[in-house]
Amino acid sequence: MTTLSTPPPGSTNRTSASSDASDVFEASKQAPSAASSRRGVARVPVRRRGDTRFVLACLLPALVLFAVFMAVPTVNVFRMSLYTWSGFSPDMRFVGLDNFRRLFDDDQFVRAFQNTVALLVVVTVVTMGMGLFLAAIMTRQRLRGRNLYRFVLYIPNVLSVVVIAATFSAVYDQENGLLNGALRLLSLDGLQQVWLGNQKVVLYSVAIAMLWQSLGYYMVLYMASMSSVPEELYEASALDGASAARQFFAITLPLIWQSLSTTLTFFIMSAVNLSFVLVRAMTGGGPDGSSEVLLSYMYKQAYTNSSYGYGMAIGVVIFAFSFLVSLLVSRATRREPLQF
Amino acid sequence: MRRSLVLTGTAVTVLGLLAGCSAGGSGSDSGRTTLKVAALEGGYGRDMYTQVIKAYEASHPDIDVQLQISKSIEDEITPNMKAGRYPDVVVLGQGRKAALTETLVKDKALEDLTPVLKERIPGEDTTVGDKLTEGIVGNLNTNPYGTDQTYLMPMYYAPTGLFYNKGLFEEKGWKVPGTWDEMFALGDTAKKQGIPLFTYPTAGYLDSYFFALLADVGGERFYTDVMTYKKDVWKTANARKALDITTELLGHAAPATVGYANEQDFTKNQQLVLDDKALFMPNGTWIVGEMAEAPRADGFQWGLTPLPAVTTGGKRYITTSVESVWVPTAAQNKDAAKEFIAYLYSDEAAKIFAKSNAIQPVEGIAGSLSAENVEFYKVYEDPSVAALVGGFASTAPVEGVDIKATLFDTANSIISGDTTEDRWRAALNEASEKLRQAGG
Repeated sequence: MTTLSTPPPGSTNRTSASSDASDVFEASKQAPSAASSRRGVARVPVRRRGDTRFVLACLLPALVLFAVFMAVPTVNVFRMSLYTWSGFSPDMRFVGLDNFRRLFDDDQFVRAFQNTVALLVVVTVVTMGMGLFLAAIMTRQRLRGRNLYRFVLYIPNVLSVVVIAATFSAVYDQENGLLNGALRLLSLDGLQQVWLGNQKVVLYSVAIAMLWQSLGYYMVLYMASMSSVPEELYEASALDGASAARQFFAITLPLIWQSLSTTLTFFIMSAVNLSFVLVRAMTGGGPDGSSEVLLSYMYKQAYTNSSYGYGMAIGVVIFAFSFLVSLLVSRATRREPLQF
Repeated sequence: MRRSLVLTGTAVTVLGLLAGCSAGGSGSDSGRTTLKVAALEGGYGRDMYTQVIKAYEASHPDIDVQLQISKSIEDEITPNMKAGRYPDVVVLGQGRKAALTETLVKDKALEDLTPVLKERIPGEDTTVGDKLTEGIVGNLNTNPYGTDQTYLMPMYYAPTGLFYNKGLFEEKGWKVPGTWDEMFALGDTAKKQGIPLFTYPTAGYLDSYFFALLADVGGERFYTDVMTYKKDVWKTANARKALDITTELLGHAAPATVGYANEQDFTKNQQLVLDDKALFMPNGTWIVGEMAEAPRADGFQWGLTPLPAVTTGGKRYITTSVESVWVPTAAQNKDAAKEFIAYLYSDEAAKIFAKSNAIQPVEGIAGSLSAENVEFYKVYEDPSVAALVGGFASTAPVEGVDIKATLFDTANSIISGDTTEDRWRAALNEASEKLRQAGG
């Protein structure tokens, strides 16, 4: 790239115009003389076309990768959901919407769906609520040692799922686990549970692990957006006698609304995946399918039960479901962005 | 100039990507056959395979054996198989989570290995069929479609049954129960001393229990009926009897069982037996190696017993787990593969396998058993005990129906009281009926 030493306005000596687009732009703006502007106008379209090609060439590898690894498989999921196929054999049988029809009669699928929805609702509400609350406390209350808290709360996010599963296996252990041990110490023996064995409790045990894993990440995100809210607003409202809670709802929340609604959409999509990996590592969907979620059921059907097409039909349901929920959430949380 | 550079760069990138996806060329040049062998690295380790292959290559200089071995071999060979590059020989049993063997069986994508039985073992005078222990082929495990054709050759076999602490029984003066009545009486005695009768690592381990129980209750005929989904088989008195016994046994289960019956914690259930906190659990001989490092009660010694008999003096079956070796129909070197399989049953190979405790079902293997294994394989010597091999017959896949899960996993719900025996039986009947229709 040739450097452009700012020429005096009105200069006609622009023959050394470089091949760079910004130079041309500069040149046409700064050199209104007839000769140079004609040159500029004449060369711009040529260069634009060259640039487009260059940009396309740069994009090509990414586009190819995207097509091969994202677009084609996604289309394939939809296509395969209309077939009966074991996953290997050359004989695929087209069955139309039979796989979907069968889904509604499948009690295990219905249960997996219910579990997924329950996890999504509970974990989303609690994670978002706690994340906001903790972020507000840490940014507004000038808590002592808040860097340490932030660090501690963030750590679970970088742990691998296997480590989390092992950690929670130690926490939930029914005999000498952390949780039941603490309850015994507090003489609350009646509250002790077989956390991963009781079919009514196991889903919430998984939910707590999910919460623990993701809370820190969203808290840090909210802290970042809260710290950009101007201090004057808080000072002014404090002079008017607003309490901390009032400040939170009247200033903080509206001003970070944009990032709240974005993270919400992200979270819903990632929670579907996270619930799968955690369930697989912690309970394997058990006991007796009581903690099965959609993705783990899809895996079991597509591979263990050799019903690949049926598994893909479940995949389509998951796709449609998370798409719909994200859409609804982003619609429901849409507001006029506030400026500060 | 720059544009051509860019284009060259792009081309190189794209080519690099494509080349990365299509690595691995063809083998058989210079007249040597490349035989691709894929094996699951199970509890027996990987050394025995490399040794056997070295011995085979020494006697077959024209064959180059490529071994691919992994603890999750399915994940490694499946992508290549989908792309049409099949291994020639696969050593992989049934009952794995990825269910590759089952899927290929359902697809009828396995090579018929019946001719191998008639083939002479390289370097020996006997045929493979003659050398194999009687009754080890010809069941649903080796002939999955219930015909005379053998598709899966039996590779290693191991008894599975109820494992217990021999030392504890000697110390307390208890007798290992021979009938279910004695079993439950022992359960009451042990309960008074605070030791529950039963536990299982995960519900999936109940396979060895259930198969034997079904045969104990109604003989091999009834067992086969269940395994081949005979109409209304779960409504019979025999089926009710089997579920009655199971429900009663599960009533004696250690309270911790269900909470630990997952992949993360199942060793804690196994630990219960080592700690004298449960008397019996269904398991296989690999348990010795698996729990070798675990702490244990004083005087602990592994014992293995078949399930108690249903009536006094009744025949008892012992579920025998058999690993399989098979050849995909799409393999390239099928003849070389069959010859290699025949070699796997030679004395030379059997000795190498036995050194790693992988016991093959061949005549005269008893001499190469380790002291520990002699104890376990002794269960076959009891005249009232018979080996039972097999599993549910293969059908075309039925969406949403997994009868093994219905049969085994429901045990968790029975213990926790979330379902009843009647509902269990109804669910089994429904699943069995759907599979029967798919199989017919």
